[in-house]
Amino acid sequence: MSSSDMIRIENLVKRYQDLVALDHLTLSIQEGEIFGLLGPNGSGKTTAINCLLALLKYDKGSITVFGRNMQPDSYDIKKQIGVVMQNVAVFEQMSVQENIDYFCGLYIRDKAKRQSLVEEAIAFTGLTDYRKMRPKKLSGGLLRRLNIACGIVHKPRLIIMDEPTVAVDPQSRNKILEGIVELNRQGSTIIYTSHYMEEVEQICSRIAIIDHGRVLATGTTEELKQMIKTGETITIEAIQLDNTLLAAIRDLPHVFDLAYEDRILKIRLSTARHNLVRILNFLKERDISFGRVFSELPTLNDVFLEITGKELRD
Amino acid sequence: MLHLFKYRFLQIIRDYSAMFWALAFPIILGTLFYLSFGHVGLEATGDSAWDMIKVAVIREDTSSENARAFESYLGMMEEEMLDIQDISKETEALDALNEEELAGIYYIKEEPSLTVAKNGLNERILTSLLESYNQNAAMFRKIAMTHPENLPNAVAALEDYRQTTEAVSLAGKDLNPDVQYFFALVAYACLSGIFLGVKSSLDGQANLTALGARRSITPTHKLTLVLIDMSVLFVIHFFNILILCLYITKVLGISLGDDIGALLLVDFMGSMIGICMGIAVGCLTRMSLGMKMSISVLFTLFPGFLAGLMFGNMKNIIELRCPIINRINPAAVLSDAFYCMGIYNDTERFTRCLLILALMCVCLLTVAFLGIRRERYDSI
Repeated sequence: MSSSDMIRIENLVKRYQDLVALDHLTLSIQEGEIFGLLGPNGSGKTTAINCLLALLKYDKGSITVFGRNMQPDSYDIKKQIGVVMQNVAVFEQMSVQENIDYFCGLYIRDKAKRQSLVEEAIAFTGLTDYRKMRPKKLSGGLLRRLNIACGIVHKPRLIIMDEPTVAVDPQSRNKILEGIVELNRQGSTIIYTSHYMEEVEQICSRIAIIDHGRVLATGTTEELKQMIKTGETITIEAIQLDNTLLAAIRDLPHVFDLAYEDRILKIRLSTARHNLVRILNFLKERDISFGRVFSELPTLNDVFLEITGKELRD
Repeated sequence: MLHLFKYRFLQIIRDYSAMFWALAFPIILGTLFYLSFGHVGLEATGDSAWDMIKVAVIREDTSSENARAFESYLGMMEEEMLDIQDISKETEALDALNEEELAGIYYIKEEPSLTVAKNGLNERILTSLLESYNQNAAMFRKIAMTHPENLPNAVAALEDYRQTTEAVSLAGKDLNPDVQYFFALVAYACLSGIFLGVKSSLDGQANLTALGARRSITPTHKLTLVLIDMSVLFVIHFFNILILCLYITKVLGISLGDDIGALLLVDFMGSMIGICMGIAVGCLTRMSLGMKMSISVLFTLFPGFLAGLMFGNMKNIIELRCPIINRINPAAVLSDAFYCMGIYNDTERFTRCLLILALMCVCLLTVAFLGIRRERYDSI
């Protein structure tokens, strides 16, 4: 932890009766980061965010934001935070522009400044053509963009985005991700929670992997990948592989794990040169026919798999 | 603040389902009241203005002065409360009496008499009529014997007495029994502001709605948000109540009183108590939306029932048995304020009603504000 941390969460414990939602969660986030909270559904991401925003009571631990304790009446801190909730939170009875203007008004009193910010937010989220429409008339992607516009319209120093791309089509998702990077470029620090590893990998400068309410690993994507044994994953379509053969493959140098299911052989190897050639030669020598072959560098999913023993989307 | 007020106002008045229950439903209910018993027939309520009592008149001896006077008296009563059947034979009249087709038989003779078959309300009224006639006749006879010169004055005095007691109420206003239903209806409509209050307070509850969470994390003080919501709801609800009162008085033609200022004051306090109840229920309890709505239904219909919305005489029964309930039941206090304003012209009691309502509002708001102060949730 550094004294320049924008957010510091220490030993946070939150219990729902017997269920421990946050188990001594400790995090620090620096200004200017896009910080990813990566974890499966139910891992404690949203609970951590709600505690951070002083919405939820917690049993133990401390939270400081901008160097001060976060409390329900920390209005000076709240002024500098924008939140994009997981669920769309807009008024059905008001148009796109009215919604954005209303939520901006909760932060900004000056009318001229507010009008300019509303226009900027509408343009930023690409809602110009839809400004007069009610939320009910918008598609899922546009609705998510409206949700984002309402959260960022006051140009906050810290933006918290809780799974903003859930149930969004790929095209809209890309626009949203581009927008988040742009917001960061404009100076906002962003906390981004997701269970989509591709998104987190694509935009986050630092990532914390959470499961069962605990931070399992923190670092940049590269740092996380270096923490694990997997250097390469080779996938081969092959038939008639018996247990003896699979055991022989497992004994090859640098192989530390394999799985064979539905004619797909998946071999995980530590970082070494010529891993793929070695495996293919082994199969040729034993006259085993095979189809397509893929070699992949480790992903965040591999990191998650190795750290937690389960797939991210389990 | 005006900015937030404007948008909250637009948002609430565009919420058509909420506006239906707050505005259209009481108007529909009022129309149904009017059609059911206000206009078509008050008898349907069990609070009939007057059912004419069926009687037969047997003329045994019409030669005496007293018999002719009694016949004339019955003729006068026929216009007001007696339905004299066309039966001249005593046997037919007795048969009809046994069949309960008649309440009684008057006999016109020197000493008028009455035959009834049972001891009910109508029979007692018929007896009272006869006794009243006999007393007056005795009085006139006595005056004629002792001071015959004053007989015309005595007759005139009795005439004046009748006019005063029968046509004028305590406050000099007609007491139309069906008005109490409309007073109770307006009281119910005022209390139905609770639904607007509860629904609106949900938008500030982070544990119940996403909107509540979003509004809870803004730098605008939660009390400010509640006060803005309350002001908007109050303005909307006050106009709803005014529209309802206008509809009742101008369209249905039911008078709610002549004092417009007092009527506005009652509507004002009524709207306020409804909204405050809603805000209190919405803010205080950390219950689910369903539970809050159930409580709201209970808090509108039950006080409405106790105030006489479903059974007109209920408020009077409670006043006799346990008057404290009428003092703490906002619907009864409102209904009472309407009575004081529209019927009794009782300024002291009217002021007391308004003070009770104001006190209730203060208590409810205090409870609500204490509930939401520095609020953090156990789960979201």
